[in-house]
Amino acid sequence: MTGALHLLRKDLRLLVRGRGLLAILIGYPLVVAALVTIALQSGERRPAIAFVNLDTSNRTVRVGDRRLGVVDYEQRLANEVDVKRLDPDAAAAALEDGRVSAVLTLPQSFISDLQSGIRSPEIGLQVSRRSPIEAQSISRRLESAVFRLNQELAGTYVTQTLNLVRVIVEGGDIAVFSRQGSILGLKRSEVLVRQLQNVLVGQGQRLLASRMDPLLNFIVEAGVNLDLANAAATAISRPITLTVPPTPAGREPLSAFGFAGALLVSLALVGVLLAAAALSSEREDNTLVRLRRGLIRPEALVGEKVTFAAIVSAAIGLVLLVVVALGTSLAVDRWALWVPTLLAAGLAFGGFGVLVGAAARETRGALLAALMLALPLIFLGLFTDSHVASAISEAVPFGPAFRSFQSLLVEPSVSSSGLWLHLGQLVLLAGVFTGAAALVLRRRSET
Amino acid sequence: MSETTPSLLLGTGLSKRFRDVAALDDVTIALQQGTAVALLGPNGAGKTTLLRILAGASSPSAGSVRREAAAASQIGWVPQTPAVYRRLTTRENLRLFAALESAAQPNAVAEELLVRADLARFADTRAGELSTGTLQRLNLAIALAGRPSVLLLDEPTATLSPDQVRRLWTWLDQLRHDDGLAILFSTQSVDEAARHAERIVVLNAGRTVFDGTVSELVRAHGRAGASDADAAEAAFLNLVGAPA
Repeated sequence: MTGALHLLRKDLRLLVRGRGLLAILIGYPLVVAALVTIALQSGERRPAIAFVNLDTSNRTVRVGDRRLGVVDYEQRLANEVDVKRLDPDAAAAALEDGRVSAVLTLPQSFISDLQSGIRSPEIGLQVSRRSPIEAQSISRRLESAVFRLNQELAGTYVTQTLNLVRVIVEGGDIAVFSRQGSILGLKRSEVLVRQLQNVLVGQGQRLLASRMDPLLNFIVEAGVNLDLANAAATAISRPITLTVPPTPAGREPLSAFGFAGALLVSLALVGVLLAAAALSSEREDNTLVRLRRGLIRPEALVGEKVTFAAIVSAAIGLVLLVVVALGTSLAVDRWALWVPTLLAAGLAFGGFGVLVGAAARETRGALLAALMLALPLIFLGLFTDSHVASAISEAVPFGPAFRSFQSLLVEPSVSSSGLWLHLGQLVLLAGVFTGAAALVLRRRSET
Repeated sequence: MSETTPSLLLGTGLSKRFRDVAALDDVTIALQQGTAVALLGPNGAGKTTLLRILAGASSPSAGSVRREAAAASQIGWVPQTPAVYRRLTTRENLRLFAALESAAQPNAVAEELLVRADLARFADTRAGELSTGTLQRLNLAIALAGRPSVLLLDEPTATLSPDQVRRLWTWLDQLRHDDGLAILFSTQSVDEAARHAERIVVLNAGRTVFDGTVSELVRAHGRAGASDADAAEAAFLNLVGAPA
């Protein structure tokens, strides 16, 4: 144990002494963090859309007490995307050379179809094939915009229908789907029928008066049932209501995802590469043969390198957190939890690194192998969409590390976030990888 | 001497196999206090493998290594390629290895070794910037950091100039005579073995083919009429089967 401490002190001294390396170790994660954050947050950027209006009628459609025209629709789109009004040819050219990410085309019959209340107008959307991820995002944004507009129109139609029902019951003026006029209403019809019956009874025509009873019953029943239609129509207009709880300030999921990803990429690379290089450099300096003859056990030696990588990556992680705390609105205030989380992640990254370092013959080979192995696995940890990716991600440190970072950044309450489970998994993985590295080192020393 | 003086280090029936290849086959070797033994043999004879096993850097496939309890159990190991931290200074290397050897006062040990190895003027020079000869002296000084009673050297002079070889052997002879160190060194030079060792062990294809003095080697395998050095050289070549 004492031997491991002496070597740890030596490694830290060499790290501090190599100012170039130290600058890279601190500067590199900052740059990676910035780049990954920008890349992951690019989904928040408003994409540019070409807006092609083939409906040149300049007409508007009256929906209830409002009038809706193409301009109104365009303004609604502008809330979601950056709209560029272009003709069809210019729009196609803009899509081709990448100035816009999609072309949205309103058909010639847009307003007349809307006005008819029978046909739904069809809006055309052509997305760029060169940026599929952005295209998917645009499709979703526009689907969402059309859905909201449809929902609003449906609400207006329901209100209008309810007004119609009210007029049918009460009587009065009517203006629906461009039809206008005045109707009597069921209540006034009931009054008229009753008056007519009384007149007939007064004239001694009781038989004739009684023959009007079914008509009277129909008028009364229709009035009662149409009243019930009010509640039913309101429910139909909004069958499902989506309630999204407000996100606490500083814990916006996309920003947190971006920073957690940046933290993972930078710290994983530092931890893995540092551990791999530290162990393989013992072989390159030929000091391994001296150390292995009883000065230090293989388990203690790889443990020392893992600890070294964990200390350095945790320190760099804290520097990144301080930078983020000072420069952004992201909430990174759980310092008491960040320290064990960064250390556990650093231990696991170091474990992965020493396994590569133990297997490699020299430092450059170790660094190359560590980079080639770690990079795809790191990104697998970020995007675990499939079962296979998820299973692989669980078996290496990067998935659990990413989830623990996310827990601290996103979850309003840490107790329910599974953080301790992730940390336990990281420590377990660190132990497994370190043990495997010691085994490999022991075997390699014999050859 | 070997009959009366207890061995500081005794390897018995040592064998080492790397898959199907026998690098060492039933080798027995003993080292007594204050003696120097040369390990001679062509490339691939098993010299380095034997030294690594005796140093504890590798384990034998068969056989055992016994260190005398009465003697200091420390063994100094000088690998052929210097085993030093090239980005640490000479002083820092000595301090670190003295600490790793559990020296009570690593700093004092380092300062003493700087003087004994004639490295004081290179104390604050990084090991990676030292000349080959100086680096080999540091390599040897590190082996002495644990105050060993046995010193194992793997071709210590292979990369040195004649002057550097002379200086190194002056120091090694001094260590043997003044401190009573037992020295086992491998070499490909019969002349070096004859000059600095009381006993020669010749390995060929992993087996001991000779164990005795230079005179015995010449008597058993040499040519009559040749000078001492030539006779020893010829005897060695005759023994390992190379053309004389």
